[in-house]
Amino acid sequence: MVVEVKKLVKRYDELIALDHFNMKVEEGEIIGLLGPNGCGKTTAINCILSLLNFDKGEIKVFGEKMTPNSYDIKRKIGLVPQEVSVFENLTVYENIDYFCGLYVEDKFTRKEYVKEAIDFVDLKDYTKFYPKKLSGGLKRRLNIACGIAHKPKLIFLDEPTVAVDAQSRNFILDGIKKLNSEGSTIIYTTHYLEEAERLCNRIIIMDKGRSLVSGTNEELKAMISTSEKIVVGFTEIEEKIVQKMKSIPHVMDIEKIGEDYIIKFENGFNNLANLMEFVEKNQLVYTKLHSQLPTLNDVFLELTGKELRD
Amino acid sequence: MNNLIRNIIYQGKNTLRDYGFSFWSVIYPLILAMFFNIAFSGMMNMELENIDVGILDGNPIEQVLEEIEFINIHKIHEGQKIEKLDSEEIHGFIDEDLNLIVKKSGVNETIIKEIIEQIKQMQKLNRPFENYDFEADYIVDRNQMASSIIVVFYSLIAMFSTYGVSAGIATVSLIQANLSNIGARISITPLKKKNFLFAGILVSLFLNLAANGLLLLFVKYILKIDLLKNIKYSIILIIIGNLFGVSLGMFIGASNKKSMNTKILIGVASTLFLSFLSGMMGPWMKVVIDEHIPILARINPISIISNNLYRINLLQSNKTLGEGIVFLSIYCLLLIFSSYIFLRRKSYDSL
Repeated sequence: MVVEVKKLVKRYDELIALDHFNMKVEEGEIIGLLGPNGCGKTTAINCILSLLNFDKGEIKVFGEKMTPNSYDIKRKIGLVPQEVSVFENLTVYENIDYFCGLYVEDKFTRKEYVKEAIDFVDLKDYTKFYPKKLSGGLKRRLNIACGIAHKPKLIFLDEPTVAVDAQSRNFILDGIKKLNSEGSTIIYTTHYLEEAERLCNRIIIMDKGRSLVSGTNEELKAMISTSEKIVVGFTEIEEKIVQKMKSIPHVMDIEKIGEDYIIKFENGFNNLANLMEFVEKNQLVYTKLHSQLPTLNDVFLELTGKELRD
Repeated sequence: MNNLIRNIIYQGKNTLRDYGFSFWSVIYPLILAMFFNIAFSGMMNMELENIDVGILDGNPIEQVLEEIEFINIHKIHEGQKIEKLDSEEIHGFIDEDLNLIVKKSGVNETIIKEIIEQIKQMQKLNRPFENYDFEADYIVDRNQMASSIIVVFYSLIAMFSTYGVSAGIATVSLIQANLSNIGARISITPLKKKNFLFAGILVSLFLNLAANGLLLLFVKYILKIDLLKNIKYSIILIIIGNLFGVSLGMFIGASNKKSMNTKILIGVASTLFLSFLSGMMGPWMKVVIDEHIPILARINPISIISNNLYRINLLQSNKTLGEGIVFLSIYCLLLIFSSYIFLRRKSYDSL
């Protein structure tokens, strides 16, 4: 077990930031902490890293209790914080070299590692630039390079793609997969469900400081009653026909959003075929029709009664 | 050791390339020195000499005058006084009733007159002479423009010797997870906090001393004002002033969670206020402090540095140097110890 968190409680005066939060991370995993802003993702990371005191609970990293003086454990950890945290008056190369040097003393090994990190984040053309001269996306890449240059076994990435363009985001996500394939265990916090779906082997959904559920993408979706949604737009439809649609096998609910109807099905097969049969039988004319498999947002919605992006 | 050297190099680069440091520690002192020089141009007479005073052998005032380091006593006969005054061998003659005879009106003659007035007042009040600091009065004598302006320059040097305050604040902010993002990042590395702080202190001291050196060279070779005649003691004072500044910065940096800009403002305002009390904005303030709250002049770190710089360089007196160094050292120890109390925490309740 790389990280084990049991019943972690963290309070900020009256506010409970972490409410008996649990987490287990196995070696080689990319685990995602998914939840809305303020749900306690960063607080959890800061507690695990011993930056924050906590009120109750137990934290073990690499099988040992984590404390601020656990220097041997710290050697194996890399952090990519949410905010870009680099020296504004050191160049790209100097920043990466400085942070790498806090872990790697041998000059030649460090030089090699720094070069690899620069290649990894593709900042070769910017090594002599100061951070203030870099775009937001490039700064994020530098932030990542400073956290991973020493080849840590465990990497915490705290919302590394916030406020970056799509191109940089893809670049960063691909890079994280590569780091994982090279042997690093990754703990990744995000409020972007697409990122969690795309990247993580296992996802912990958090809300109000609690870990609601944990599992693979498929496992999480299987936990909820909605298995499929079909969006259909009709030219004209009477209310009684809409009510009649509920008799289609496996239909749970029908929601009208604008001109479209979202028909939610519980577990079952042939949902689309059953719907088409209903349409023909009632001589309905449709303008659009497509099927949606459940997303993590649906999981979150069913668990908490609110959208992930609320 | 390697880590310490790397930290010194990188923290040094980071500070040196900071525009704030370049301006406030390097350029601003030069501008201010130049401004003072222009403002007081022609009013300075750096060749301050001791004042020659004639008295009759057996005049009881001799004992008092002997205590004043810038007074040269000439024991003469009654018949010699006019001749000595004419030949300017003495600036003034004081008889047994404390009457002053001078041949002309000038700065030195005015100083003798003021000293006699002070002695008369002390006699009236029946206060012992040894409790009176004539040199301090001499420094602030409003009629002695040259020495007043020199006080301003020494206060200026004293103030800038404590400008390590900004670097001290920055160093602390960089290692505290609850004060900066970099602090959080560094806190999760295997780097021990004390190593980073030690490197930061060395860098702050070295760079601020270098900036002070530049200021002194500028004043000496560009403005042609030779302020430091006793280099050895002056350097000791400036170094300890720097250590005080860095310690004060560490304390301000560690003791509260205000923003970096607010802390720098507190640091600069503190040193500026202490400099104001030491007479940098005008010697009249020092007169007020000396008259009403003399203890403040004795404990104000900037006053300690500026007064001692004045004394050791112009009066060739190191009478209060030891006491000043002890006071400043105590301040440094107290500030460093207090900072340590704040900094020893490694986990925080909030970030």
